[in-house]
Amino acid sequence: MFTLALLVSVGVIVAGVTINARSAFDQLNGEHTDALVAQFQDEMGRRKTEAVDRVRGVADDQGTVSMALSLARPQADVSAYVGDAANVGKAHQLDFLDFIADDGSIISSQEWPARFGYKMTWVTQPQYWPSVGAFLTKLDTQDGPAIALLAVTPIRVGDKNLYVVGGERLGKEFLASLVLPEGMRALLYLNLDDSFQATDLMDNSGPVAQADPFTSTVNDERAQPSERTFTIPYSVEAGAAETFHALPLKGQDGQLLAVLLVGNSRHDLVVVERHIAVLGAAVAGGGLLLGLLLSWWAAARVTRPVTQLAAGAQRVSEGDLGSRVEVRGPAEMAQLARSFNRMTDQLNEQRERLVQAERVAAWRELARRLAHELKNPLFPLQTTVENLQRAKDHNPDQFEEVFRESTGILLSEIDNLKKIISRFSDFARMPQPELSAVNVNELARGTAKLFESQFSAVGRPPITSELHLDADLPAIQADSTLLRRALENLVLNAMDAMPGGGVLMLRSTPQDGGVHLEVSDTGTGLTPEECDRLFTPYYTTKQHGTGLGLAIVQSVVSDHGGRISVESEAGVGTSFHIFLPYKPPPRPADHAPSNGDGA
Amino acid sequence: MEIGASVSSIDPAAAAASEDEAAAKREIESLLYEKRNTDGSLVGVAGSGPFRISEWEPGKHLALAANDDFSGGRPFVDAIEIDMGRSPRDRLVDLELGRVDLADVPAEDARQAASRGVRISASQPDQLIALVFLAGHPAAGDARLREAVSKSIDRGAIVNFILQKEGEPAGGLLPQWSSGTAFLFSTAADPARAKELRTQIGGSPEIRLGYDSGDALEESIADRIVVDARESGIVIATDASGSGAASSFSKDDARLVGLPMISPHPAVALANILGALSPLAGGDATAPPELDLPGQVYAAERAALDGFRVAPLVWVPRVYGLSDRVKDWQPPATGEALPLADVWLDASGTSAK
Repeated sequence: MFTLALLVSVGVIVAGVTINARSAFDQLNGEHTDALVAQFQDEMGRRKTEAVDRVRGVADDQGTVSMALSLARPQADVSAYVGDAANVGKAHQLDFLDFIADDGSIISSQEWPARFGYKMTWVTQPQYWPSVGAFLTKLDTQDGPAIALLAVTPIRVGDKNLYVVGGERLGKEFLASLVLPEGMRALLYLNLDDSFQATDLMDNSGPVAQADPFTSTVNDERAQPSERTFTIPYSVEAGAAETFHALPLKGQDGQLLAVLLVGNSRHDLVVVERHIAVLGAAVAGGGLLLGLLLSWWAAARVTRPVTQLAAGAQRVSEGDLGSRVEVRGPAEMAQLARSFNRMTDQLNEQRERLVQAERVAAWRELARRLAHELKNPLFPLQTTVENLQRAKDHNPDQFEEVFRESTGILLSEIDNLKKIISRFSDFARMPQPELSAVNVNELARGTAKLFESQFSAVGRPPITSELHLDADLPAIQADSTLLRRALENLVLNAMDAMPGGGVLMLRSTPQDGGVHLEVSDTGTGLTPEECDRLFTPYYTTKQHGTGLGLAIVQSVVSDHGGRISVESEAGVGTSFHIFLPYKPPPRPADHAPSNGDGA
Repeated sequence: MEIGASVSSIDPAAAAASEDEAAAKREIESLLYEKRNTDGSLVGVAGSGPFRISEWEPGKHLALAANDDFSGGRPFVDAIEIDMGRSPRDRLVDLELGRVDLADVPAEDARQAASRGVRISASQPDQLIALVFLAGHPAAGDARLREAVSKSIDRGAIVNFILQKEGEPAGGLLPQWSSGTAFLFSTAADPARAKELRTQIGGSPEIRLGYDSGDALEESIADRIVVDARESGIVIATDASGSGAASSFSKDDARLVGLPMISPHPAVALANILGALSPLAGGDATAPPELDLPGQVYAAERAALDGFRVAPLVWVPRVYGLSDRVKDWQPPATGEALPLADVWLDASGTSAK
């Protein structure tokens, strides 16, 4: 939205500036055109005055006066003056000069010497030539028609006139006298022919090279002479275009004789418009970039705390309850960060409390179990010692026999105590797995076979074993001894859970990254509370047991990088699920530098 | 003496490069040879005439010495120096300043020169200037167009204005003083008939008219023809070119030619003129085998003009400017040598060529 608004704003501004620039350019061009047209008209006025003066100078020339006097005589011979116009005209810097007899016949002509004898009747039309001044007209010359700025001065001798007609050519020399502002040019179309002729269009150096584009406008002027403005594109390149103002130049009878074309190049305007467009594009681009940066900054400002919160939550989920996030950003985000930190603090406190509670419970359980385990052998020891005391005091004769029996019992109970202490010691000294390729299916089959005789032992309800082992199960890196010990433990637990017989099922399946082994029984099942504490050391549901069996199983599975879980339903049975990776992850101790003693 | 032409060779067998050179060459030959026959052929050898060559620089200068053994008697003057290639202006100036005793003067300048006091002498009008429509050129192929051009030309204006009245309008191929029948050929312009013919033709054919670029008179006449033809609706463009080989005007449809009479006898003169026209105008201007009787001359002249291949324009005299020292000068007769053997110089005057 910001970008769209920016682009629209820039577009409107660029359009406005362009329109204003164009308007200013057109206005400036108009002023230049007006100035040039005024300059042309001033020049035309000056040259008219000059033409009148020069023709009057010819008329006042002694030779011309003599000619007039001679021609006024009866039977005058005009042939003697046939070559005079060329010489006199040249001397008076005139392009055209004609001496016309009273009857309108040409006596001598500078522009067309061979035209003597023919009539130029318009000169003899009754009018007061001094008041006419100079005027534009179309004149026939030896080289073809021309547009001339002529003046006429009659010389009257007696009842006859000698007309002196002279002037200058309207053409490129006329244009050369104009001072043109930069970017402007003045063209002149001489209306000499019946249709548009490219050679009749000239600038101050001669015929215009590209005259064809003017055909239409010149023809319009020829049909209806009037001031008009038009633009010639020349090419697809906008800078090549030129705007012209056409000024018709008419003769005395209103006939169109020439068209002055004042041209203004549109190159400068196009350059300005391009600069405006480039500037607009740069502003739009800059604005767009700025908008993107601001958007990124705003988004980052909003999302960074959220990202930090997400990262913190991820760390918490991975067990790092000490994770904290920086409290900053908008008030809501800061509040959220504070809440997150408070939550992790609470989780930390709860975990600490839970650990302490579990630790206390474990010690209590250990104490209870130790008390229980130690109490059983201590009671026979106490009773046996008391029997020895009583026998010595009351039956000395039987003391020897009692002594033998009692020491045997004492040794037996002491041995029992040693066993108890040994089991506790074994748990404390669980060895590290020695890895090798292990086929879990073979392990399961071997275990089932080991207990096969016990499943069908005489005197107890039979237990049926079922093996559902995946044939494509890959081997894993594991310690086969430890795994066998763990699996035997689970099978023993299952047998204990099925005093009335049942079905023991061993199932292996491949799982993502490792293998899955399931040991199920159809025994009495466990309560959820029992399931929760099942792997706690020294916890047992049985009357006789140390409560270390499943703890050892969990320890073995954990040492292999795996995990163990239990599912149970009272009256239905219990299933233990073990996942073992193909290869245990390296333990920190494995990477620790050796201290060198190999112990 | 000063002349305008530059004579590069005085060998009678050598061809002249221009009409002016040919005319000057003929006059010099007449001074060197004993006699010229009516048909233009020379009698005797070079040096058997009134003068012989004493110094010769082709194209520039010729010095002649009086021939003491001339059968007609030794000339009065001892020597003649002829400077060639002098411009009309220079010749007139030299005449006015007395630097030269004799010079040829363009006919169109004679009146002005005379008005400035130059002694002028003119021959009979024996130089014909004619417009010839060249055979084989399509633009001049229509006889009506040729007639229209001929009728549009105001020959009187050419004589009066361009030639300053030194000459006569020409309607035939021989002048009135020679044939006596020239009046039978109209010289009056008839622009109405010319326009009528032009209307009949239709279209807008343009005729290319050539003239000798070194001949001011031909240029002026050509320009006037353009004006007259234009008034009748005929477009003619002029083309200044050399006057020698026909290849120099091969692009022209028509051409102005100068045709000098080599003899006052009409039959001889006409035969010579037709002989000169024939290569240009084709069959219409061919001389018939019999031209002895006046009727035959007129018939041949009429036949040559009937197709309007040739439009005679003006007869122009040969004009000379003389210093006051020159005595017993007689205007040269047609076909005859300059009378230099008969003139003498007044020793009291200023020494001149």
